[in-house]
Amino acid sequence: MSAPPATPVWAAALRLDGRLGGVARRWAPPLALAIPLCLVAAALEGVHSGFPSTWLLGVPRWFDNLNNWVTNNDSSNFFLHTIVGGFGNLLNDATNDIVNLLHWMTWVGVLAVSTAIAWLVGSWRTALFSALVVASFGVLQIPNGGPNGISEMWPSAMTTLALMTVAIILSTIVGIPLGIASAVWPTVHKLLRPLLDLMQILPAFAYLVPIVVLFSIGNPAGIVATFIYAVPPLVRFTELGIRSVRKDVIEAAESFGSTRRQVLRNVQLPLAAQAIMLGLNQVIMMALSIVVIASLIGAGGLGDPVLAALQTQQIGEGFVAGLLIVLMAMWLDRTSAAIGERARERTSTRRLTRRQLLGLWAGLLVLVLVARYGLGLGDWPAGWGFSVVDNATRALNWVTNEFTGIAGPISSFLTLDILNPLQRYLTDLPWWLVAAVVGTIGWARGGSRRGVLLAGCVVLLGLMQAPVGYTFQGTTSYNFVAWNDAMETFSLVIVALALDLIVGIPLGIAAYRWRVMDRVLRPILDTLQTLPAFVYLIPMVALFGVGNVAGVSASLIYALPAAVRATTLGLRAVQRDVLEAGQAFGSTRWQLLFKVELPIARPYLMLAVNQTILLVMAEVVVAGLVGAGGLGLDVVTGFSRSEVGLGAAAGLAMVLMGIVLDRLSQSNPDRARAAAS
Amino acid sequence: MSCRDLWKVFGAHAAKAIESGDVHLGRAELMAKTGCTVAARDVSFDVVRGEVFVVMGLSGSGKSTLVRCLTRLIEPTSGAVSICSRDVLGAQPKELREIRRTKVSMVFQHFGLFPHRTVIDNVAYGLEVQGIDRPTRYARASELLEVVGLSPVKTSYPDQLSGGMQQRVGLARALAVDPEVLIFDEAFSALDPLIRREMQDEVLRLQERLQKTVIFVTHDLDEALKLGDRIAIMKDGRFVQVGTPADIVGAPADDYVREFVRDVPRGKVLTAAYATQPRSGEMPEEVVRHDQHLNELLPVVFGAKGPIGVVDGTGELVGILDRRMVIHVLAGREELSTPEELASPGQP
Repeated sequence: MSAPPATPVWAAALRLDGRLGGVARRWAPPLALAIPLCLVAAALEGVHSGFPSTWLLGVPRWFDNLNNWVTNNDSSNFFLHTIVGGFGNLLNDATNDIVNLLHWMTWVGVLAVSTAIAWLVGSWRTALFSALVVASFGVLQIPNGGPNGISEMWPSAMTTLALMTVAIILSTIVGIPLGIASAVWPTVHKLLRPLLDLMQILPAFAYLVPIVVLFSIGNPAGIVATFIYAVPPLVRFTELGIRSVRKDVIEAAESFGSTRRQVLRNVQLPLAAQAIMLGLNQVIMMALSIVVIASLIGAGGLGDPVLAALQTQQIGEGFVAGLLIVLMAMWLDRTSAAIGERARERTSTRRLTRRQLLGLWAGLLVLVLVARYGLGLGDWPAGWGFSVVDNATRALNWVTNEFTGIAGPISSFLTLDILNPLQRYLTDLPWWLVAAVVGTIGWARGGSRRGVLLAGCVVLLGLMQAPVGYTFQGTTSYNFVAWNDAMETFSLVIVALALDLIVGIPLGIAAYRWRVMDRVLRPILDTLQTLPAFVYLIPMVALFGVGNVAGVSASLIYALPAAVRATTLGLRAVQRDVLEAGQAFGSTRWQLLFKVELPIARPYLMLAVNQTILLVMAEVVVAGLVGAGGLGLDVVTGFSRSEVGLGAAAGLAMVLMGIVLDRLSQSNPDRARAAAS
Repeated sequence: MSCRDLWKVFGAHAAKAIESGDVHLGRAELMAKTGCTVAARDVSFDVVRGEVFVVMGLSGSGKSTLVRCLTRLIEPTSGAVSICSRDVLGAQPKELREIRRTKVSMVFQHFGLFPHRTVIDNVAYGLEVQGIDRPTRYARASELLEVVGLSPVKTSYPDQLSGGMQQRVGLARALAVDPEVLIFDEAFSALDPLIRREMQDEVLRLQERLQKTVIFVTHDLDEALKLGDRIAIMKDGRFVQVGTPADIVGAPADDYVREFVRDVPRGKVLTAAYATQPRSGEMPEEVVRHDQHLNELLPVVFGAKGPIGVVDGTGELVGILDRRMVIHVLAGREELSTPEELASPGQP
């Protein structure tokens, strides 16, 4: 009903009016503006401009001051002491209690109970898998201590298990009620949505430092970071599950005079159970995927050896702990998926009657008591295991040696011919030009408000920097030029993204066109999608050594499944009758692909770009752990040298960069989201 | 139950549109001026115990909205509804729930069954929300399942049943609370023709026994004629005609209704009264009742030698069956007079 948007004069002059197709209309104006400007800028290369070093807000100092204040008032301030401190203690106590319980249960007890639970919710296969995974926590060991001087992985695994349990419980008791509230009250939904959006586009690195400022290094900080990272899907799935209950079913319940609460309890929640389980499953997977990052802020467990190994380049040792994290993820994934399966099939036939169940638990208790006090067992016996490190190291060494011939040239080509020039070019671009280009594209994709917002984000990002020669209280001093670091991160993102699209879209098309290809790719993509982000760093560091190339290649692989999947999904969504119409006119297969299928799948391809960008950015930042430059490295440095202001300001810069990249690659968030679901 | 001057106007300024009288504008004009659409337009009717009142109309005519307004599943804009002499529209939430729980039940087009509950738990739902204990509600639900012939599938889930069986569950669920008023919203529209007929017979059978106040919404004229004691034809939110099936077919109120009933097999709906010349006096040899359908009378009409008398329910002679008129009526000749002019005694 609204009038068609007025065409700007210059656009009219370029004949970019309504008669052109939608694609041209949307893209031509921004490109018409942005491209010449970029060319001008490129011509001016050598004129070093970037972001003026004197323009700053003093953000690092705020955080350093805040940190100082928190340290000094920790015991006297009510909020810090009672609320934050109390909450932290609660999390810590809960974790310690669970750790103690797991140790008290002895290895026999842990094995028996986990297997019994897996059997109850799933099948004997789930149970067997569960038993094997738990046993592997004891069996797989590191000789001579590894980087942390610990050979047995069992205690670390139990710590991680306890941390995960607490994080998952916290996510559940916050996430499910929030999801329900969001489904029931539109206001809550409106308030939560942008927050969830933001939480999902942010790399976990962005909020590590503020969490540490509040909770200080330790288990509570790790749990809170895990919670923030993992809870959004649970809220979303809960809300979606409740909202997607069929209207007529709800109406039927209302017509019988159910109260709102009764409708929710009797109808909506039971019908949403499966979606909620799916959300919980996501929470578990995401929680396990940041175990290593959580270790960076003091959460113990299996993340520690991985982190140590990555930082000392003793890749083999990291490999064992990393493998155990992956196994734990698969174990918890399968078990929770089995519960979801159960919710879907509504199998009212429980495996056991109530009495049998009681008997089972009693039996397990007796078993634990006997193992503990009768046999005096404890953790997994150190002798019952073997070291896979030697083999792992040997395998990795072999890879390194065999492929150095290839990896070396690739690495130097990427570094010298692509990454470095690109980074130099981007860093040297005048800030106003970048803001203008970003603003224009943002405007073209989402209206003037988005354009202004995004241009503002770019400027704000530059303002995050610390003054030259910044020192704090005479002890810490560092150099933080947010602009340059963000551009370095951005250059890594661009390269990984470009490679992802070049490889991913054709793979997606191939998987759509040829069934064999689909069958080959499916299990590979499934595996890649369940692996935590840090896993990709291990082989890449082995192959390319620490640095940007390892970061880019890990990001490339990490984000590849999303690019392939979204492409295939989009092509599959093309309706059969449309295809038949295309065929009926005698199109060749390629004509069909380029004239019908790909154009119709365009929203999905855009979604592929959007998803890939966010994943790539997340991984590029994590790659700061292995020395990939930019904002990620700033955060890592912030921790390793306790430079709080640096880490926090870099985190904020990441937030801004995440918003810019997400909004630039999203033409219409609602439509894209609709396409995704 | 009764419904008076009920309006349902969709749009942000619905109340204003009624106040200003804008609602009497045409659909497009109203939309342009106020952004509102009218779903129910000044609708009034009464349904008595034991009667089946059919609301019939094409999709978009507002019939589903209308019946939802009766229990405020959709909030009406203005008007008055009373069920069992209780004011529905003025009821507070608690009282409204009480009315919904005990006085009215609904059977839905797509059944509206709870997929996560077994058949018996579906049927017992209305009792459950009333807070009735499990043994009592299961006993009652089992009784109803017996009535609709579903006892063997008590513990199945809805999606394990055929469409017809699912709607029997819907019917049993509606009956379980023993409501005064039953509302069927296109209840059988999603079913196959054969199953549909079966379900219609089931409703007639149950109605004979239970004598509920039934409001039945449908877009199927055959169904309306078969089930309805009275039928309301709805168009653009308005009742264009309310009457017995014979009224509707024999004396359509306007061209819209006429077009609607054009293909109806008239002999199955129209009665002797529509072909009777009023006359009093001597009782002829051959006699038929005034409410017999013309189809069944054809053998008599063409077999009898002398005049055929038409008597009312008490056996009193009301007139003579006119053979020429029978043919006219069956052929649907438009110039026929209304039955009121033809036959003085009242309709069934």
